[in-house]
Amino acid sequence: MARFDDVAAIDGPEFNRRSFLDTLLNVGFVSTAAAIAYPVTRFLIPPKSGEPATASVVVAKTAALKPNSGIVFKFGNKPAIIVRTADGEVRAYSAVCTHLECTVQFKADTSQLWCACHNGIYDLSGNVVSGPPPRGLEKFIVNVRGDVGEEDIVVSRA
Amino acid sequence: MMQQVVDWIDERIDLSGIRHFIAEKGVPIHTQKIWYYLGGLTLFLFAVQIVTGILLLLYYRPSAAEAYESVQFIVSDVEFGWLIRNIHSWSANLLIAVAFAHFFSVFLLKSYRKPRELTWLTGMVLLFLMLAFGFSGYLLPWNELSFFATKVGTAIGGAVPLVGRFLLRLIRGGDDVTGATLSRFYGLHVAVLPAITTAFVALHLLLVQRQGMSVPIEVEQRVKAGERLRQMPFFPNYILREVLAWYVALAILAALAAFYPWKLGKKAELFAVVPPGIRPEWYFLAMFHTLKLLPSHMLGFEGERVGVIAFGLSALFFVLVPFLDARSSRSERSPLFTALAVFALVYLVTFTIIGYFAK
Amino acid sequence: MFIALRIFLAVSGLSLVTASVAVGQTPAGRNACVSCHTRLTDSRLAKPPELFAQPDIHRESGFACVDCHGGDLAATEKTRAHDAAHGFKGKPAGQTVITTCVRCHSDAALMRRFAPRQRVDQAIEYATSVHGKRLAAGDTKVATCASCHGAHGIRRVKDAKSPVFPTNVARTCASCHASKQHMSSYTLADGTPLPTNQFAEYQKSVHYAALTKGDDLSAPSCNACHGNHGAAPPGVGSVANVCGTCHAVFAQKFEASVHRQIFDKGCVECHGNHAVLKPSDEMLGTGAHAICATCHSGADDKGAVAADRMRGDIDRLKGAIDGTSALVAHVKNAGMEVSAQELALAEARSHLTLGRTEMHASDAVRVDAIIQEGLTIVTGADVAGQRAVGELKFRRTGLAISLGAIMLVVVALGLKIRQLDRQA
Repeated sequence: MARFDDVAAIDGPEFNRRSFLDTLLNVGFVSTAAAIAYPVTRFLIPPKSGEPATASVVVAKTAALKPNSGIVFKFGNKPAIIVRTADGEVRAYSAVCTHLECTVQFKADTSQLWCACHNGIYDLSGNVVSGPPPRGLEKFIVNVRGDVGEEDIVVSRA
Repeated sequence: MMQQVVDWIDERIDLSGIRHFIAEKGVPIHTQKIWYYLGGLTLFLFAVQIVTGILLLLYYRPSAAEAYESVQFIVSDVEFGWLIRNIHSWSANLLIAVAFAHFFSVFLLKSYRKPRELTWLTGMVLLFLMLAFGFSGYLLPWNELSFFATKVGTAIGGAVPLVGRFLLRLIRGGDDVTGATLSRFYGLHVAVLPAITTAFVALHLLLVQRQGMSVPIEVEQRVKAGERLRQMPFFPNYILREVLAWYVALAILAALAAFYPWKLGKKAELFAVVPPGIRPEWYFLAMFHTLKLLPSHMLGFEGERVGVIAFGLSALFFVLVPFLDARSSRSERSPLFTALAVFALVYLVTFTIIGYFAK
Repeated sequence: MFIALRIFLAVSGLSLVTASVAVGQTPAGRNACVSCHTRLTDSRLAKPPELFAQPDIHRESGFACVDCHGGDLAATEKTRAHDAAHGFKGKPAGQTVITTCVRCHSDAALMRRFAPRQRVDQAIEYATSVHGKRLAAGDTKVATCASCHGAHGIRRVKDAKSPVFPTNVARTCASCHASKQHMSSYTLADGTPLPTNQFAEYQKSVHYAALTKGDDLSAPSCNACHGNHGAAPPGVGSVANVCGTCHAVFAQKFEASVHRQIFDKGCVECHGNHAVLKPSDEMLGTGAHAICATCHSGADDKGAVAADRMRGDIDRLKGAIDGTSALVAHVKNAGMEVSAQELALAEARSHLTLGRTEMHASDAVRVDAIIQEGLTIVTGADVAGQRAVGELKFRRTGLAISLGAIMLVVVALGLKIRQLDRQA
């Protein structure tokens, strides 16, 4: 049986070619092993974003959302909005206006959701009050999670 | 250094049996020896599937609500996720192609003949297992294409006589393809099938190692007539050639993964309408297209049912070939079975191509 | 004792009849009007009780023939049934129709007993309408209460089969207004005959589509712009107000624009009045189908320049959005995560909508600003998209390198095998 290390014992003009070939082969094996090991290792290290986030999103800390205000955020590939009513209740809706898909915003002076494009107005239950929108805003589920004093507002699809 | 490690182990577990085996094992040299590499190649691709599969299941989520999103997460957020996923998808196709090539080469060379009937049987089981892997894995990304392909594919299973309805419900986990089907296919794909496959691969390899490589009938006849058969040492000559084949396969896989990445598709919707022109992956295409071409009623039965029965019987026939081919079991030329093999090959290739280009 | 009994019977009988006349309750099975009229061969006389037997709000509220027509409900003989002493009016026509309905419907106290939320000023409105004025002048061809609401088988407005249910209003108006024959004696202020194509035109409109196919019952029909009971064409100066009741933002912008004083017919100048079609960007500018070109043309016309500028802005943003959307879709299908870019493109589309709204103020500078914001957003998304394409290219480069390493091994292996074979 020919073993790799037998090769080293043989002298002569073939010696250099053989050991060169062996070195080449070893280098080749090692580099391909590295070319495999590197992506696999990087794959195993958890990515920054943690986990797929299209079903639920952590929006903000509860303290960041003041009464009678709203925050627009990214939910998947569409905008959504969380609002805190004057009584303190937190609600979440899709911020895509049902008329022509502009983004709605919170209007503090009337405590309503307003679409700047054609003046569509929704109340804080997501129902259309006036203007062109044909339907109300899609409602999402709000959960408050986390350590006391540091709670996160988490919005997820129904 | 390797030698020192080997010696250390040898002192503790007697490796002389293995050493002897490796030193003595030879592989016959003849004009058809190229086909020998296909078995090892199949094994290599299967190993690639196991490794990439394990990596994927660290991030994949097997529920209707999250499967698609988790695959998207893998290919976009996880470092080199796109590479692992694409290699897994491409290697699946390559694996089945090579497995079929291995099957046909063995069939045409009549390696199934006595004393290798058991090897053939375990090999056929492995082939069906590979197809089951392909079918179950295809649903897991939960996109439109895979959802409908599974719907159509499992519906065909319902055409089996007597037990069809029961089988359909068993496979689908219900009457329709739903999240329950996904869970079931996932369990099959990552636990049940791997366990069974491991057992059969071990058996298959054990048999091959014990019995050595088969040679074509003409070569066997020449040897019987007194000719000396040249052998090459299994280690290192044959093994290095096998590894060469593996590296070529690796190169092909890497190229496919980078130049033809697998698309994400659209997320599956349970109540959507079947898109026109839906069809399964290429390895089921021949069967699928044949069933499509059959008239709706034949010999008083539903056309599809007749088709399914016909395919079932053909599969059974192939499984039993070693016991049916009396001539090759006597190491005689068996042109009938050669012709059958060629027919099967031509049929499958032709119908796969037709099915691919049909609208 | 018998006298007492007779008096008792007379009083109770009388009170029963009085009660039934006063309140209009039909004693079951004793409606002589219906039993006689349904047997008549003349369909004009037989039809009304048939219709009245179908869903009818008045019948369901307990009213009967006599409450509008007068007469004696119980009398089986014609002259007694049609007795003028019992207030028989026969078929009301012309102004009598109005007074018949008004007797109850303008009586707030009475309406409160049956439909407290219903208005009671319809007659006052009607008097201000073209129909009301002409009726007062003696023209009996015009619409009265019964023309739109029916007389027998009157359904609630909310009832989908009512001729005044939102989806049916236009057809009801068209039953007279689309008939050349009926409208032949009427002319416009300048003497030209009154057009009869309004319904046909309206059926082409976006409002009609919204009402009948879009399930949007708040979409306007004839009454939304012309009024219900006080129906009249809106005054030329007030068209923008009328459209503005729904299209508030556009009315606001238009109010501030130079066209406010110039346009005779406000919104109608560009959008039409009945055949209001879905607007397109083609209408803006000085190009082939542009409406601005009707008045504006040439490089020294400030209006033409402004129109072209606004059109150019909008086209530019549209083109940018389309280009980047295609790029993002391509990259998404290759497996890259593009939700942020999709969100940005949606924002950019909002800017397109805002730009088209702002254009009604005819101020190109304001439109520029909005479009510019939109373009900035698209550029951001485009940059991210290009980066994704770059990432795809980078992967191919990485692949080429690893392929190099693999080929190195393949070649080396091949040589090694040859070497070993020669040895053996």
